[in-house]
Amino acid sequence: MTQDHERIDELLAGYVLLALSGPDAEEADRLLSEHVPSCPRCGATLADLQALSGDLALAAAPVAPPETLLPRLHRAIEEVPLAGRAPRRGAFVALAASIVALVAMGGLSLTLDDRLSDAETRAGTALEILSLMRSPGAEPVSLAPQGETPAASSLVEVSAPNVRTLYLASENCPEPAPGMAYQLWLGADGQWFAVGPMFRPEDGVVLLELEDVDTSFYDAIWITEEVAGTVPQEPSTEGRSWRAEL
Amino acid sequence: MREEDSQDLELHRRVSARDRAAFDELYRRYGGPAYGVALRVTAQELIAQEVVQEAFLALWRAPEAFDRTRGAFRSFFLALVHHRAVDAVRREQRLRQRTERASNLEPVHGEDPAEDVVEDAYLGVRRKEVREALATLPAEQRQVLEMAYFGGKTQVVIAEELGIPIGTVKTRTLAAMRKLRVALAREDEG
Repeated sequence: MTQDHERIDELLAGYVLLALSGPDAEEADRLLSEHVPSCPRCGATLADLQALSGDLALAAAPVAPPETLLPRLHRAIEEVPLAGRAPRRGAFVALAASIVALVAMGGLSLTLDDRLSDAETRAGTALEILSLMRSPGAEPVSLAPQGETPAASSLVEVSAPNVRTLYLASENCPEPAPGMAYQLWLGADGQWFAVGPMFRPEDGVVLLELEDVDTSFYDAIWITEEVAGTVPQEPSTEGRSWRAEL
Repeated sequence: MREEDSQDLELHRRVSARDRAAFDELYRRYGGPAYGVALRVTAQELIAQEVVQEAFLALWRAPEAFDRTRGAFRSFFLALVHHRAVDAVRREQRLRQRTERASNLEPVHGEDPAEDVVEDAYLGVRRKEVREALATLPAEQRQVLEMAYFGGKTQVVIAEELGIPIGTVKTRTLAAMRKLRVALAREDEG
């Protein structure tokens, strides 16, 4: 039994650290449902390890959150309806039509025959967008080309209330200038957050999925053209860009 | 029980009764530590802010998730923040792999990026205790613990990166946790 408990303790330690995977995670799940509830020793060990896991957070230096965070929390608590998010039916219909066409025609794999997994991923993302667009309150938003950005280029953001995923799609995203790359920003209360580069495949069809995004947190989206490989601090106002209020 | 832990319990009771002032006070106490660990784990301000926001919202929406018979509120809440931060990092890694955006993350913050955090004294004391306890661990035990906790890595990944058997990772992790538990319990009693 001592050896058994040594093994169980190892699993519980890994469990509270979120460090288990595969068979170990499955075994821990079984233990937590079948053994730990009826074993005072293991229950006490788990409680101790969980408390330790919380205190370990203190080893990181404290950092003052942005002053805007508490007001945002208050707004989220009060569940204030977001302003200016009326459905844009035109964008909805146009994006749905283009994505349906892409999926139906197998267009997503036309230029990706040597990268099957990417093609499958993109096809899956396209289907997820279609699914999301059917959900209540889905609100596709067209991003307006800014400055000298080709007016015919289309970028559409799709999100829905209470869905923590944001999609960005384009069927004809132009190639960035040599040495440049597209950067995705999300804005809240005038502050812009660099989310990461928006990868443009060779065929110009962008299907980007951002998981675990609190879409109620942001009020604007902006795609800018930045020097490739750099980490911009502020959105560039030069070069191509697309922008919309959410 | 420390006096501050008792105060936390009272604040939590008031939050359960939908007292916004108590919620704000818990944010004042734990916003800095929460954002600190979220930044340390995610290394990205945007994600760290979302982690902290979601953790506090979870507290507001489901305060009953904290069982006051099973330890301090501080430990419960900071563990919640840590778990969400690790989840966020793993989702971000999956997304990055899918969208080939590995090269353009926000800068990683160092150990002590902010000097202007006003922190309750008892948290500073506990922080010192935790850091001192960590410093007593053998280097190889501290390494696997920090790779898991702050690196968000699974034991399988840690074993691969260090080139050691996964059994060794498990053994070192448990040994580290046990030593920390003993050291911090001693501090609690003292």
